[in-house]
Amino acid sequence: MTIREKVLVIEDEKSISHFISTVLNNNGYEAMQARTGSEALSMITSHCPDLIILDLGLPDMDGLDILRQLREWSSLPVVVVSARSYEKDKVQALDLGADDYLTKPFGTDELLARVRTAIRHTRTASGNNEIAQKGTYTVGDLTIDYNKHQALVRGENVKLTLSEFRIVALLGKHAGKVLTYDFIIKELWGPRAGGDNQILRVNMANIRRKIEKNPAEPEYLFTEVGVGYRLAEEY
Amino acid sequence: MTPQKSLFARLFPFSWRDLAVSAAILSCAAGICIPLQRANSSDGFASPVFVLAVLCVSRFTTGYLFGLIASVLGVVCVNFIFTYPYWVVNFTLSGYPLTFLVFLAVSIMTCALTTQARQSERLRAENEKEKARANLLRSVSHDIRTPLTSIVGSTSAVLDNPGLSLPEQRELLEDVRGEAQWLIRVVENLLSITRIGEDQARITTEPEAAEEIMGEAVRKFRRRYPDISVSVEVPADLLMVPMDPILIEQVLANLLENAAVHGERTSRIRVSVQAQDGFARFAVEDDGRGIPEKELPTLFDGTLKRNETTSSDGKRNMGLGLSVCLAIVRAHGGTMQAQNLSGGAEFTFRLPLEQQE
Repeated sequence: MTIREKVLVIEDEKSISHFISTVLNNNGYEAMQARTGSEALSMITSHCPDLIILDLGLPDMDGLDILRQLREWSSLPVVVVSARSYEKDKVQALDLGADDYLTKPFGTDELLARVRTAIRHTRTASGNNEIAQKGTYTVGDLTIDYNKHQALVRGENVKLTLSEFRIVALLGKHAGKVLTYDFIIKELWGPRAGGDNQILRVNMANIRRKIEKNPAEPEYLFTEVGVGYRLAEEY
Repeated sequence: MTPQKSLFARLFPFSWRDLAVSAAILSCAAGICIPLQRANSSDGFASPVFVLAVLCVSRFTTGYLFGLIASVLGVVCVNFIFTYPYWVVNFTLSGYPLTFLVFLAVSIMTCALTTQARQSERLRAENEKEKARANLLRSVSHDIRTPLTSIVGSTSAVLDNPGLSLPEQRELLEDVRGEAQWLIRVVENLLSITRIGEDQARITTEPEAAEEIMGEAVRKFRRRYPDISVSVEVPADLLMVPMDPILIEQVLANLLENAAVHGERTSRIRVSVQAQDGFARFAVEDDGRGIPEKELPTLFDGTLKRNETTSSDGKRNMGLGLSVCLAIVRAHGGTMQAQNLSGGAEFTFRLPLEQQE
């Protein structure tokens, strides 16, 4: 028998919390529910969950505050849940250390995929397991070779420029997770790089033209509109 | 405009434009009278010319202020400059109190008429807005009621009939999911409207890669309609377009959805973008049944009435989705068009490539 991973669902809407928990319980996780921020904080310390699903709109406190408090002492994976058209909240949550987000409304597939990704990333302390072992990351026909600084499609080097490779490498390290524009820019060009993400867009367009069959129908490099980019984890 | 302006300020508003207009009209009147005076010894022409001038001033300025000033100036001009004895104010001449009264009456009556006409125009515009809002509400209410009825019905059917077979239950639940997803899209359209704001005020735009927004819209669409094949065509060079990405994604999603739902037998959709005369031209074409000719003229105004459509019963309204599209595109300073192609419909919209203002 395997130990089921514990997931704490922090959500004030009973019906949403109920359906998330049902799905998780039926897919090999053990779900716990918290309705308020204070309840959630005490449950985090007493139950030590493996993952938190956090709704940003709670009755007693701002979901972002819970995240902020939690990040002071724990790197426990957190998936935030937020409504559409609140990109700022999503970006803020990600920059505060949330691992991923779900946009309401979401389906069970999406929920499980996010949970799987977030839990997998904590198992391997710094990013991706495959990279640590083999020095490469492969999804579908795409392979990122971290030793040779190359990206290969069906075994063929696609000849990325240095900054293009660094973007792909960064996304590969966090494959399956969305990285905000700001995060990518700061990782690549340092903390003092401006907020202008034009250069990033142009680089991304070039990368897609080298890796994807059609840059407007990406199979590997997805756009999260208004938030950032995500590299496919499952093909 | 503050509604609590004092009565005085409302009746006698001052504006430099009106001052300029009044000065111009009165100078014209004087300009006509001076040569006439030189050529003709009788003074009869001055009064009618200035009455006309006062009338014009009252008509083309706002409120009573300039009309009244013009009538006073008119009387003075007629009396002082253009009536013998010249350059002398002489109110003892017979008929002058009458002239003055006529000038005043013309001015006041014209001002009143003009003000009234303006007011009723404003009322009509407000009425129209109110009507549009009511139409939208009606259209939305209907869009919401139909799927809710189905959701309540289907879930009750499952809960109240324990004898239903699993496949039957599953079918009902799938209906519920489909209807709920439709509701979500209706609500998202409404949210988009609130994002644009009341008077379709300017939205904040940022240069975005057109291909990224299209890619996302298409990816989400494919998940909902896996049976329809969608192709996306973008130019070889990256096309950056100033936009609110969430709203433009909504426009594309609505157009794709329309193609799938209203094309009825749509099997292929082609989405493309290209740069054209300073605009980015987005197009969504399908191979469905096309747009019924009689719906073409009213397609975008959200007034499509259910009982006027061919299949009235339970037919989903494409009015809301399209009027939201139009509102979003207009807020971007763009234009939108729909036409029938030989096999199917094509919706296009153009967004300016230069950042506005």
